[in-house]
Amino acid sequence: MAAETNGAPNGASSGVPPAAQDGTKNTLAPANPTVAAPAPANTEKLTAAQLKAKAKAEKAARRAQVKDARASAAIAPPSQEKGAAADAKGGKGKGKQDGQQAQNKGAHRSSVSGRRPSVPTTEKDVRSGIPECFSHVPMAKRIPTSHANKDVHPAVLAVGQQMATFFLNDSISRLRATLLAFRKVIESYETPKGNSLSRHFVPHVLNPQIEYLTECRPMCFAMGNAIRLLKGRVNKFDIDTAEDEAKEDLLEWIDSLIIERITLAEDAIARNAAESINEGDTIITYGRHRLVEKTFLEAKHDGKSFDVTVIDDPFDRGGQELAETLRQAGIPVLYSPNLGGLRPKVAAASNAFLGGEAIFANGSLHAPSGTADVAMAAMNAGVKVIVLCETINFDRDRVSVDSLTYNEIDPERNTADCFRLLFDNTHDKYITGVITEFESGGGNSPAQAILALLRKQEDPLID
Amino acid sequence: MAPSQASHAPTLDSLIKSFNSQTLEASIESLLFLLKRRQVQGDECAKATAHILRQVVAKSKWRDVDQLLSRVQSAGSRLARAAPMEPVIGNVVRRVLGLIRDEASEERNADDLVSETASDIQSLTPSTYPAQRPAPVPIRPSPSAISTGLQVSKSMFNLLSVADPGDSPMTGASTPMSQAQPASVHALRSEVMDGIEEILDEINQADDQIAGFAEIQIHPGDYVLAYQPSRTVERFLVKAASKRRFTVIIASLESPSHTTAEAPYATLRKKLNAAGVKTINLASNGLMAYIPRVNKVIFGAKAVYQNGGLLVDSGSCIAAQAAHEYLKPVIVLCPVFKFCPEDPLDEVSRRELGNPSTYVSYANGPAVDALDVENTVTDYIPPELVDVYLTNLGPQTRHHLASILADHYKTEDIGFSLQLDEP
Repeated sequence: MAAETNGAPNGASSGVPPAAQDGTKNTLAPANPTVAAPAPANTEKLTAAQLKAKAKAEKAARRAQVKDARASAAIAPPSQEKGAAADAKGGKGKGKQDGQQAQNKGAHRSSVSGRRPSVPTTEKDVRSGIPECFSHVPMAKRIPTSHANKDVHPAVLAVGQQMATFFLNDSISRLRATLLAFRKVIESYETPKGNSLSRHFVPHVLNPQIEYLTECRPMCFAMGNAIRLLKGRVNKFDIDTAEDEAKEDLLEWIDSLIIERITLAEDAIARNAAESINEGDTIITYGRHRLVEKTFLEAKHDGKSFDVTVIDDPFDRGGQELAETLRQAGIPVLYSPNLGGLRPKVAAASNAFLGGEAIFANGSLHAPSGTADVAMAAMNAGVKVIVLCETINFDRDRVSVDSLTYNEIDPERNTADCFRLLFDNTHDKYITGVITEFESGGGNSPAQAILALLRKQEDPLID
Repeated sequence: MAPSQASHAPTLDSLIKSFNSQTLEASIESLLFLLKRRQVQGDECAKATAHILRQVVAKSKWRDVDQLLSRVQSAGSRLARAAPMEPVIGNVVRRVLGLIRDEASEERNADDLVSETASDIQSLTPSTYPAQRPAPVPIRPSPSAISTGLQVSKSMFNLLSVADPGDSPMTGASTPMSQAQPASVHALRSEVMDGIEEILDEINQADDQIAGFAEIQIHPGDYVLAYQPSRTVERFLVKAASKRRFTVIIASLESPSHTTAEAPYATLRKKLNAAGVKTINLASNGLMAYIPRVNKVIFGAKAVYQNGGLLVDSGSCIAAQAAHEYLKPVIVLCPVFKFCPEDPLDEVSRRELGNPSTYVSYANGPAVDALDVENTVTDYIPPELVDVYLTNLGPQTRHHLASILADHYKTEDIGFSLQLDEP
């Protein structure tokens, strides 16, 4: 408010006279042009017309300020103008200030679709440390909730924060959280007058949510799949479908997706994989993956006796938790805290069980960094490499031949001093078979076969 | 590895200095102590061994070559047994034994052929490496030669001259030398000590000589993956940085807890950055993700076996393996003194285990009780994963390693390690 004091007199010249004419209190006339300080005392006495006039004056003052700022920061790109205008329209004073700061510092980020520019300077710093050869790789970032698009649903907001902080880390828990949040979005959705859900929901409600989530952390492929299916579902509604009916259908569909593709899939995979463990096997695994963990516990529950070698990533240490859990379940565990001595360890194993984040259309596996090294060592040693992965993680549209095509930078380690990619890409020649919820009884089908199956199964859902 | 070496270096230096004042036995004991406690590692072992053997030659009592050989052998095997994971010690001992045999046979020739060859011996300047010296092998058909199936003979010529190392390790020059004169003992002593000096020079200069090949191997714009750069690798990279603009990606197995105060390899990175070479420090064990970006992989070896396999810091194998899969060249920097005339034992018994508490804290009770933690410190890399062996004599392929070994070691001494089992 204080910043507007010098701007007020300019606006008052046009705004005040009609106000003074309309209003019966003449005390206002001197108060307005002098300073803003006495104004708050009188606010409750103002009539609607006076308020309107005052707002107009403030707006004019802000415009003037923006103009000044723009003049001073000559480097500001033209795209900013739109952002600033949008701000002025929707504007509270606070949002205004942010916009100005951004302009004064000459930040080059254009504000997309009315989102308030979010702390551009710090963001630039974060990415500047990334070595040039990896600069194309995206990275999760924490967006303060106050900087999010106003259309983002609170549930989605929370999920976004959890993803950005890696509280939700693996693809399936992210997918589940996203779907549950979308469920809330659908529940609270009301079609505006003159629109139909099938036309309005996706572009105006769903897309801002997706945009925000992507910004927090690049979407995992399972989320991409689910969103594609959800959009397909929405588009299939007839334009005349009653809103309640459509919402009910969507909620039901989400529930069944969670049950079929996540909950039941997990059980089915663990069962299938556990069946493929033989008495006396030594199984090597890398890091901690919930499917692998579940499989081991399931096999132990079945009364099988086998050994597990856990290879860990010293920068993540998930494997240690897995080792302790297995140990508590009574499974003999050899724990290797790093990839050292991998060859002899792998050679002593009978199977390698690896969990995956996603599988691409060319059958290659997207998994936590280091998985590819273990898979390759195992394959070269003649050990079966079995990947456990839900079919929702299969991406049928993307092909990745190296780890730099689709990857993420660890936001904690993103400078030349300490750099880390979160994932790597295992070529399908290092994978003996993939266990999904489709196959039963130790099915080690190659990824390509499952992709074909998936195509067949999912197509009716889309069209 | 680099920082630990740096902190132990003073210990070794002061030890070497103390050799002159101490008795021989005390010197050996104190070195054994350091070796057992791993306070002397890698290249330092080679230097220490050469120094101590020099003391053995200088101080111990011996009347003829046989006695000298057995003194060196017994001291050498004590050292080698104290640090079984440092094959370099055995290499240096073998080199010294070979040196003694050479000198002895030259001396014998000198005795036979009047004193003219004696000046020949003197003319060996310190700058000539033992490597280039002609290595006359005493040709004596031995009845036991057929029974020695343990080593691969380097040539048909040597086949007949192999002495059985197990039965009679020092037969090489026994018969003629047993009547050696005290005067020649004195001459031999100084010759051998000069020879050991040369070996020491070779060890000290090896890094620089290898670095001399840097600009041939590294090209402008390269992305070089340096796995746990040892001092040899550091020197190589810094030398290359003075000529070329490239990017070094440094990877290591070390977990974050190791890097407490400053980023790992900070000094190396500072040097490289100062020369305009970009560096990236990877915080990752898995390297498959980065290999597509990398042009070549460079690391140092702790030892090179007869078959071309390598003993390396653990984790290098990951790098070599990943590079091999993407057909990127793997360059191994290994001075000639690291070449072992032995075959590797199986991978499991060759590896060395480190302290697990760096990864699983003792404070973590349940884990300490239940888990078998295995922190492997050394790895074996099979020869097919290595493309270039960059030695101080130049780049080599594995097909040529046999001739390097033949140049540097006497067939009689190749079985040296076999004597380790004897008490």
